[in-house]
Amino acid sequence: MNSIVYLLIQLLVILLVAPFVNGLIKKVKALSQKRKGASVLQMYFDLYKLVKKKPVVSNISSWIFHVTPYIVFATALAAALLVPVSTKILPPQIPGDFIMVVSILALGRFFLMIAALDTASTFGGMGSSREAMISALIEPSILISMFTVALISRSTSLPQIMETVQKVGLPLAHPVYIMVGLALLIIILAETCRIPVDDPATHLELTMVHEAMILEYSGRHLALLEYGAAVKQLVFMTLFVNILIPQDQMIGFMGLGALILSLLIYLLKVILLALAMGIIEVNTVKLKLFSIPNLAALSFILAFLGVLQFLILGGKHV
Amino acid sequence: MSNLAVNSNLLETLSVLILLSSFVLMANKRINSYIKTFRIQSFLIALAAGIMGLRSLMSEGRWDFLVVCLLIMILKVLYIPNMLNKTYKNVSYKVEKDFILNIPILVLLCCGLVVFSYFTLSGVDGISQDVLNMQLVNSVSVIWIGLLFMISRKKAIGQIIGFLVIENGLYITAMYSTQGMPFIVDLGIFIDLLTFVLIMGVMTFRINEKFDSIDTDQLNNLKG
Amino acid sequence: MGILLLIVPLIAVLLLLTVKQSQFRHAISVGASSLLLILALRLNREVLLHGSVQYASYGGFFYVDALSMIVLDIVLIIGFMAAIFTPGYLEAEIKHDKIRRERLGLYYSLMYTFIFTMVLALTVKNMGLMWIAIEATTLSSAFLVGFYNDKHALEAAWKYVILCSVGIAIALLGIILLHLSSAGVLNSSSFLDWTALYAKAASLKSSVLRLAFIFILIGFGTKAGLAPMHNWLPDAHSQAPSPISALLSGVLLNTALYGIIRAAVIVNHNQGSSTFTGRLLIGIGILSIATAAVFILTQKDYKRLLAYSSIEHMGIIVVAMGLYSPLSVFGGLMHMINHSLTKSMLFFSSGNILQKYDTKQISKLKGVLKIMPVTGTVFLLGLFAIAGTPPFSVFASEFSIVVAVFNGPYKWVGVIFVLLLAAVFAGIAVTLLKIFYGEPGDENLQAGEVNLPGTVCLVILLVGIAVSGLYLPGDLKELITKAQGIILGT
Repeated sequence: MNSIVYLLIQLLVILLVAPFVNGLIKKVKALSQKRKGASVLQMYFDLYKLVKKKPVVSNISSWIFHVTPYIVFATALAAALLVPVSTKILPPQIPGDFIMVVSILALGRFFLMIAALDTASTFGGMGSSREAMISALIEPSILISMFTVALISRSTSLPQIMETVQKVGLPLAHPVYIMVGLALLIIILAETCRIPVDDPATHLELTMVHEAMILEYSGRHLALLEYGAAVKQLVFMTLFVNILIPQDQMIGFMGLGALILSLLIYLLKVILLALAMGIIEVNTVKLKLFSIPNLAALSFILAFLGVLQFLILGGKHV
Repeated sequence: MSNLAVNSNLLETLSVLILLSSFVLMANKRINSYIKTFRIQSFLIALAAGIMGLRSLMSEGRWDFLVVCLLIMILKVLYIPNMLNKTYKNVSYKVEKDFILNIPILVLLCCGLVVFSYFTLSGVDGISQDVLNMQLVNSVSVIWIGLLFMISRKKAIGQIIGFLVIENGLYITAMYSTQGMPFIVDLGIFIDLLTFVLIMGVMTFRINEKFDSIDTDQLNNLKG
Repeated sequence: MGILLLIVPLIAVLLLLTVKQSQFRHAISVGASSLLLILALRLNREVLLHGSVQYASYGGFFYVDALSMIVLDIVLIIGFMAAIFTPGYLEAEIKHDKIRRERLGLYYSLMYTFIFTMVLALTVKNMGLMWIAIEATTLSSAFLVGFYNDKHALEAAWKYVILCSVGIAIALLGIILLHLSSAGVLNSSSFLDWTALYAKAASLKSSVLRLAFIFILIGFGTKAGLAPMHNWLPDAHSQAPSPISALLSGVLLNTALYGIIRAAVIVNHNQGSSTFTGRLLIGIGILSIATAAVFILTQKDYKRLLAYSSIEHMGIIVVAMGLYSPLSVFGGLMHMINHSLTKSMLFFSSGNILQKYDTKQISKLKGVLKIMPVTGTVFLLGLFAIAGTPPFSVFASEFSIVVAVFNGPYKWVGVIFVLLLAAVFAGIAVTLLKIFYGEPGDENLQAGEVNLPGTVCLVILLVGIAVSGLYLPGDLKELITKAQGIILGT
């Protein structure tokens, strides 16, 4: 019973909020450029429109091209199930931990990359190779920063980690968490194709990465891919906000009211993070591809320093 | 959570941020961003001194930390960076590559330095209690990173900044490990530091005059 | 009374900055240094009578005992000699258009600031203040090293400031750790206070203290020109004006060594034996002598030759302190005095030679004895003395250190030590042959001395080192014995 409730809430919240977050970031960017910009709900309309359309598929492509959108969306959803939005409704046991999240998302990415190669378009290949490079650079820092948090809670399971974090007080004032948080921020920007690494708004061949890979897709395939990307973005943001700004401990009472309050706070945190990401995106320039290793090195070092601080503290429970 | 614990937690965080700022410094490419990062680092140190100052004022009624905090603000956050900016404007004609190794390698070397200071210090008994140890490791790492920065930069101003970072590292080492040196010693260190920066500013200017560059690689005539 | 030692140089600096006429500037300089010398003699007597001089007023920071008195005497004697030598030297430089007359004020005021900082380093009880004063010596002498303001001088000055400041910064880390090791032992009024640290040495945290000593040795060792941190020394000594070279080599290096000795005493006292400091000091000392020997053997520039010889002698003193036996410490302290007097004499005479020949190349010095009979003789005998030839005093102290090495626990060190000394001797002897044999190559050189008062001071120094090689005055002996007692903790 508890598990089903958990699954439902989890899916519902993530699926509903994901397009909104995307719209919010776009709105921040538009406002900073003195434009009115599209409504924050625009992505829902876009998705609706795309779903109604029949996809156009190149006749030289194979089955990979067809299944990829479904795999990408499914992996994003599966990852979403493993990252709880609130610790107030944890089922007794969720299988899978953050290593699982990372590998599930990697599976989706793998299919996306070979699907982009499948149509033999030059942009697709370019996008794939860039994506492969970025993900290879960024993955070590994801794992190290998550391992740091896992070391503290002595478990790799995300619900467990989020439970432990509740006891820290204000993790953002704690040296280890600060390092992990900064590393995660860079990771989010890289993983969700945000500006220092990739520009989601561009279709300029020199700069696009993610857009280059989905260039051949249309109709409901495109809808699924874009929705999948939005869900993946929200998954990472959830990870960030629920580890670094935990709230459930502060809600004294239990029950339905507590759950709703906790979800509202969660929503607020996500909105704040989305605003922050929009502002970061406005204030940075896109790095050239060969500078991305520097960014990845920075994020790796942040994660590494986090782990080191933890070790220096003698593995003390923090 | 008690007030004191939050305080010390803040200090730990500041110590990590100060360490982080020296990493950022190492990753900087341009002289004006060195100066900016140095300013931020000094500001963080002033903040830490301020927190310690408030605490010692509350518990023992000592004012000296707050005075020191004020001095750091005036000297290291405002005066010295401004002076360096002025010197830089006077001597800079061209932007050149300023470092000898590429940045990711330098930054990874910095990581190695942190590990190194961890291993040297954790073996010494008497300072291997956890919190003190962590702060000490961070502060001592700042010193070594400053040294590496000096070695890795060829421009005169880069070397001055490197020395200032070493000095910052020394200062926080003293502050975190021993609750500060005697006040008069702190004061003397500030006077020395100020003189150092003034002298080096003048000398950078003269080197630029004689060698048409502030690249210290050209200072290699005296050998044997 | 002792506080006047600090006030006189400061007043001198102020006067030198206000007075504009060169003659007055020279007069003020000579006057101030004579005054300082007289004050030092008075203080000497007090130290001999009471063991140490300290005042309860001024926050109790003033403290002089026999150990600091020895170095203080060296500072003020060499300072006095430099003050007498300088007017003639600078006037000649102005005549040859090497420097402008306006810069005389800068020179003198920096020189007295330099002397002030050294006196300060030697008269404070607080190790932190001592550190500040030693760092200040670097800063105040930076422009003196770069005084000629040409490419070479600037390079030397830049290296000097950067290397010494970084070195000294590492020493500060050592001082901080020293402070940390005393946490909980000393109360806040006696933080970093040398006498308090010494008295409570047994209860300091040994492990932290050992780490502190390593950093202090590296830091002050840079300033003392010990290898492998010696790179700045030959450049700075060869590019600075000769009186300043004399001050740097004869005085500054000793001041830095004094810092190391102070720290070593505390560590030895804490450990109960000198094994830890001894090994470090002997190792770094032998390395310094070896480095210097290599460079002396192949040296082409006579001022650099003297600079490397300074590195060698610092190495010898450090080895003596590392052995930590009564004989070696006595020899080491005596060597400090002898080396300073001899080396400053050599730098003064090299200044005269440089002004006459206008070159630093050894190969271009021909017939020095014919052209400058007095300076040439002093330079010749001085080189003999610094290489360790009897009857000069350097031989006496070197000999007692050699004897101490062979009586000590490390016999093989003695073998290396003596071999290295022989190599240095050979290097200097070869140079001597090159300089003093042969006819003057350049016909345009007029025979005759430059800088008469300076030459007089050379002769006084020569007589001094010759006499003290044979006979040690009773007061001096008592002072050294007292300092030896402080170092050995007896």
